[in-house]
Amino acid sequence: MRLNEEQKAMLEGKRGAPKKKAMEILTKLGEIYGAEEMVPVTSVHMPGSSVVVAGHAGTKFVEDMAAQKGKFLPFTTLNTGACDLSDEKNTIGFPEAKVEMQKRLTTAYEKMGGCPLHSCVPYLAGNLPRQGEHVAWGESSAIIFANSVLGAYTNREGGPTALAAALTGCVPAYGLHLKENRRGQVLVNVHVPLDDINEFGTLGYFAGQICEDRIPVFAGIKQAGIDELKMLGAALASSGAVALYHIVGITPEAPTLEAAFNGLRPQTVLEYGKAQRDEAYAKLNRTGEDEIQMVALGCPHASIREIAEIAELLSGRRVKRGIQLWVMTALPIKTMAERMGYVKTIQEAGGRIVCDTCVILGPMKEIMERNGLRSLATNSAKLAHYAPGQWDLKVHYGPVRTCIEAAVNGRWN
Amino acid sequence: MSEIILKGHSVVGGKTEGEALVSPEPICFLGGVNPANGMLTEKGHALEGKFMKDKILVFPTGKGSTGGSYLIYETSSNGVGPRAILNCKAEAVTTIGAIISEIPMVDRLEPDPIKTIKTGDYVIVDADAGTVKVIKRTEKEEKR
Repeated sequence: MRLNEEQKAMLEGKRGAPKKKAMEILTKLGEIYGAEEMVPVTSVHMPGSSVVVAGHAGTKFVEDMAAQKGKFLPFTTLNTGACDLSDEKNTIGFPEAKVEMQKRLTTAYEKMGGCPLHSCVPYLAGNLPRQGEHVAWGESSAIIFANSVLGAYTNREGGPTALAAALTGCVPAYGLHLKENRRGQVLVNVHVPLDDINEFGTLGYFAGQICEDRIPVFAGIKQAGIDELKMLGAALASSGAVALYHIVGITPEAPTLEAAFNGLRPQTVLEYGKAQRDEAYAKLNRTGEDEIQMVALGCPHASIREIAEIAELLSGRRVKRGIQLWVMTALPIKTMAERMGYVKTIQEAGGRIVCDTCVILGPMKEIMERNGLRSLATNSAKLAHYAPGQWDLKVHYGPVRTCIEAAVNGRWN
Repeated sequence: MSEIILKGHSVVGGKTEGEALVSPEPICFLGGVNPANGMLTEKGHALEGKFMKDKILVFPTGKGSTGGSYLIYETSSNGVGPRAILNCKAEAVTTIGAIISEIPMVDRLEPDPIKTIKTGDYVIVDADAGTVKVIKRTEKEEKR
């Protein structure tokens, strides 16, 4: 691989041990994937920011890098963690040992310059690359948003490679950093209207299963806002390993169908009609029982508009006793929701705003056992996909208004 | 006692030697290895129940989650990791694990290390040069 003078200096150890190790990781990775050079990155979003993912090993490695005076070069935000650091008395009840370990991990990243955002929606909180900007992001739902909606260029980075990118400010130029690898491969013709943000999740869940790691192009979607695109990507990256999608006439690299495929023919053509939608819905609703003990909204973390809708639906109503209602979001968005009165409305109804963590990346086992949680309702196809495997939770899946009704009644209808 | 020289490609430099532990199938370090004692734990794996501590670990390639790199680091930090890793073809997870743990690693060896090296052979690794010397156990030694 060709390296510039500064990159060579890092590899030779002239910039300290952490940067040497980081550059070794990146050059070997480049050799494996056939990269010819490094590309500078202007932003990193750090996966492995929850101790549920990093474990003892990852935590120790990050602490070792910080102890050796490693410093991040690009702007770096931390992904979702394993507890709510704003809940100082731990009223949620995460295991204390995990909370302590999370504080160690967060502190180590902070020492190197990481911003402890602890959210999967960095693009809603100040880490917002523009079209054509090269970045190194982890967290599957954020990766796909950066590539597809923002038009930034990132591969799917795991913990050690994102850490290496943060320490050196570069990644090997392969995969989605090269324009020729970003054209569409699978055409998905959408024949049904998508009326709620969760409908975009259902579509993503359907297409992700078939696309695996290929790039889908959606045709027939007339309108899609930030919340809808967030749900679509999160689902595509859960049922599949999709890192980039295009929507004709909506996303930046797909002004036309021809542009999305770069003039080539799709490898596969899928039709998404009522039958496909109903089948995906049935797969995501994996429980025979109607009783639920928990409702989780905000996967990926809720935007201020989603929180506004939840507050409106809950206004003057009361979550049934014994039911946990979690609205998961990033700290800056919670602050905004407080100012707008939404937090008060949700809390008065018996719900809880949870920051920094979520039902997938938080250590839920003890909380589930203590509260007798067996069955969960959500409007997120991503959470509905992961909850059964991760925590052995049964899942009901549907639009937000149905989830709120379930929270009030304790039953899914 | 016979010797065989294998030639390959240096992934992580260093020199070391020890007894070989050979797996005909890929190894996943996340969920497949206990980092506290270095035992392979994947159900039904060819090396299930074997310990990699101080071995020259030979396997075709890695598999599974990117978290595996950190597990190699933890296993190695606990002093129960392998002395060297020999792969047919290095992939990202194992390579990154070996780099951060400073475990010498060689890949693309000729002839095929999985067929040439048997568990228990004595192996001398020069990962800087990308060469591996294998001292075969004699049949007599094998019976002992």
